[in-house]
Amino acid sequence: MEAGGDTTGPPPGDVEDLEDTRFPSEVAGDGGGLREDPPDPGDGDQEETESETKDQPPSLLSPLPQSGAPSCTCGLWDPAVSENSPTGGPESGSGGQGGDPSDEDWRSKRKHVFVLSEAGKPIYSRYGSVEALSTTMGVMTALVSFVQSAGDAIRAIYAEDHKLVFLQQGPLLLVAVSRTPQSAAQLRGELLAVHAQIVSTLTRASVARIFARKQNYDLRRLLAGSERTLDRLLDSVERDPGALLLGAVRCVPLARPLREALGALLRRCTAPGLALSVLAIGGRLVTAAQERTVLAECRLDPADLQLLLDWVGAPAFAAGEAWAPVCLPRFNPDGFFYAYVARLDAMPVCLLLLGTDPEAFHDMATCRRLVEEGMHTLGATRALREAASFSSAPASSAPAYSVQAVGAPGLRHFLYKPLDIPDHHRQLPQFTSPELEAPYGREEERQRLSDLYHRLHARLHSSSRPLRLIYHVAERETLLAWVTSKFELYTCLSPLVTKAGAILVVTKLLRWVKKEEDRLFIRYPPKYSTPPAAPAASTDQPSHNGLFTGP
Amino acid sequence: MRKPDGKIVLLGDMNVGKTSLLQRYMERRFPDTVSTVGGAFYLKQWRSYNISIWDTAGREQFHGLGSMYCRGATAVILIYDVNHPQSLLELEDRFLGLTDTASTDCLFAIVGNKVDLVEEPAAEDQRKDGRGPGVAGRGGGAPKAPRQVQPEDAAALYRKILKYKMLDEKDVPAAEQMCFETSAKTGHNVDLLFETLFDLVVPVISRQRAQGPPQTVDITSYKTPGQTPSGCCA
Repeated sequence: MEAGGDTTGPPPGDVEDLEDTRFPSEVAGDGGGLREDPPDPGDGDQEETESETKDQPPSLLSPLPQSGAPSCTCGLWDPAVSENSPTGGPESGSGGQGGDPSDEDWRSKRKHVFVLSEAGKPIYSRYGSVEALSTTMGVMTALVSFVQSAGDAIRAIYAEDHKLVFLQQGPLLLVAVSRTPQSAAQLRGELLAVHAQIVSTLTRASVARIFARKQNYDLRRLLAGSERTLDRLLDSVERDPGALLLGAVRCVPLARPLREALGALLRRCTAPGLALSVLAIGGRLVTAAQERTVLAECRLDPADLQLLLDWVGAPAFAAGEAWAPVCLPRFNPDGFFYAYVARLDAMPVCLLLLGTDPEAFHDMATCRRLVEEGMHTLGATRALREAASFSSAPASSAPAYSVQAVGAPGLRHFLYKPLDIPDHHRQLPQFTSPELEAPYGREEERQRLSDLYHRLHARLHSSSRPLRLIYHVAERETLLAWVTSKFELYTCLSPLVTKAGAILVVTKLLRWVKKEEDRLFIRYPPKYSTPPAAPAASTDQPSHNGLFTGP
Repeated sequence: MRKPDGKIVLLGDMNVGKTSLLQRYMERRFPDTVSTVGGAFYLKQWRSYNISIWDTAGREQFHGLGSMYCRGATAVILIYDVNHPQSLLELEDRFLGLTDTASTDCLFAIVGNKVDLVEEPAAEDQRKDGRGPGVAGRGGGAPKAPRQVQPEDAAALYRKILKYKMLDEKDVPAAEQMCFETSAKTGHNVDLLFETLFDLVVPVISRQRAQGPPQTVDITSYKTPGQTPSGCCA
């Protein structure tokens, strides 16, 4: 194949620079090297931060000043950062304990994410307790309003090995302070996802209304409990990259006939006001069906779908049947849907039914029984259980496959996002990736790989110098990233592979994906379902909760 | 398909332990705190009856779903945290109003949860609530605090509720019978609470049945009235 011809990526010579910068940065990461951190001003550092910003504005205000410039980022390229605390335990790491800005442990975190109100009131912090951070948050508000007073908006600050990204969304201010190799654009994407998460519980309209009424309202009161969802979201970026990075959802690998039968089943089982039905396993999509009358012109945004997939994966939905309001920020940030969420037949398979009628719980419960019966007749139960139980990873009910399945020795992991989705199916960007196996079992290693992928992604999509192909020899692995009109691919290969060998592996992988694509992806998503009866009921339901007030 | 015969709703401020209490009873375990999203629905078989239990999220008043959860309820369990007087006040201020849609002969139980955190020289059993920064200091700070809410306070609230509902104290179970102090963590009084309530609910259900057409709004039949507004909105 013509991979060689396409190469515009940096020659392997790159590697040497990286090696050089590794040690200094490692030292810096290790010890007191954090002193220059502007993001976590302890009392002593505060002044420094101030002056830092005063120096900075000219450069910050230019759009994405140096996102692609190696001078600022090469130090970050290296995985040295992984030495510090691998983000704690699954659900617990985020605790509200500790978190004094002067606390070394807190300062050594790779990436902080803060949400605060315009008045500077803390709402969320990835680490530490928000109370302890009110002064820090005060500094952030100061930075923002300082630039604002000049009639401009602060976007990012690049300081040594840190990036600070600011995002203002209505009365909310989101800030990321990161030492990871993520680009400012990627960090901004993450902040947008955090914001979407908040909007999904409260709606944008009510957030605005609340702050319009009372500027110093403590939004945590309404968000209590959502912190964990935010923690999980941010964790997933480092542990299992893909969804947010590629802006795509991951599907459960499933034989096409079965998937189509399930899609047809979902379309058959309707209820008044039902807008969307989704079958998922462990945050991955089995299939979904949209209701024509309700979602006619509005295609579901993949970000909204991903948000729902993350949401139903929450431990709160592990038992019983749940009924909760949820807002889809991309679809309509100001209105609620009502979601019915239940696990089917004690399987890890989760059914989500999204409707517009706040009283429809029992209708939805009936609909769920129909789906369950339908799945029995299809005999889908066993196949789905198998799909769910493949995963060898402990404590994970996520359906996955091993990279071995590709049959390309030397291939360790990959992310593949098809771009040649057949016409009019463009609404559902998807990607696939095998399970992370050894040597990426440990937290730090996953973080390292995630960093590498983010770095490659940032290079490919650099606004100033986009690349099509990158061959990168890193210390512990070799990576090849390639974007064409047909796909976007990131591969992680053994470090000993040669360039020719890598091309061979990628060829094999592409052939495998082609062969398996019907199983890996939803190539032909189900068409709309039409409600069997009472069409009037579902068309006007939206007006009840203020949805669809405009085109 | 099992159809619920009666409905019980758990109400209370955020973080008082509604879900923990229910899970302790239903699943015999004390789970890691998981924030409830919206409402969760459980079915419990008691004698020959299916009793549905709605667990709610503690911020219902915001989403306006509270009255939906309470509609036609046979019993409402109002939960507060014995270490946090505010949570008892909230019951009266914010949650009592939600019960207006409950059935007219609805039973009320008032439950002070988290008694394991009260004075007794118990081992440090904090951290059970890592979340809820807004209420820090309640569970997070001192390992054990002197009792903040007395059982009499709960009984007083119970009488207030009866007054609010215009019920005669003689017709309903006495305050002593309907006020509980529990610990979802240790399981203290949890079975007693639910089983007492089920036993009280069963006669109410059979009485309602005997009376024929339900006086309460039946959600399953809601579809029909639901279409009436549709005409005018279209």
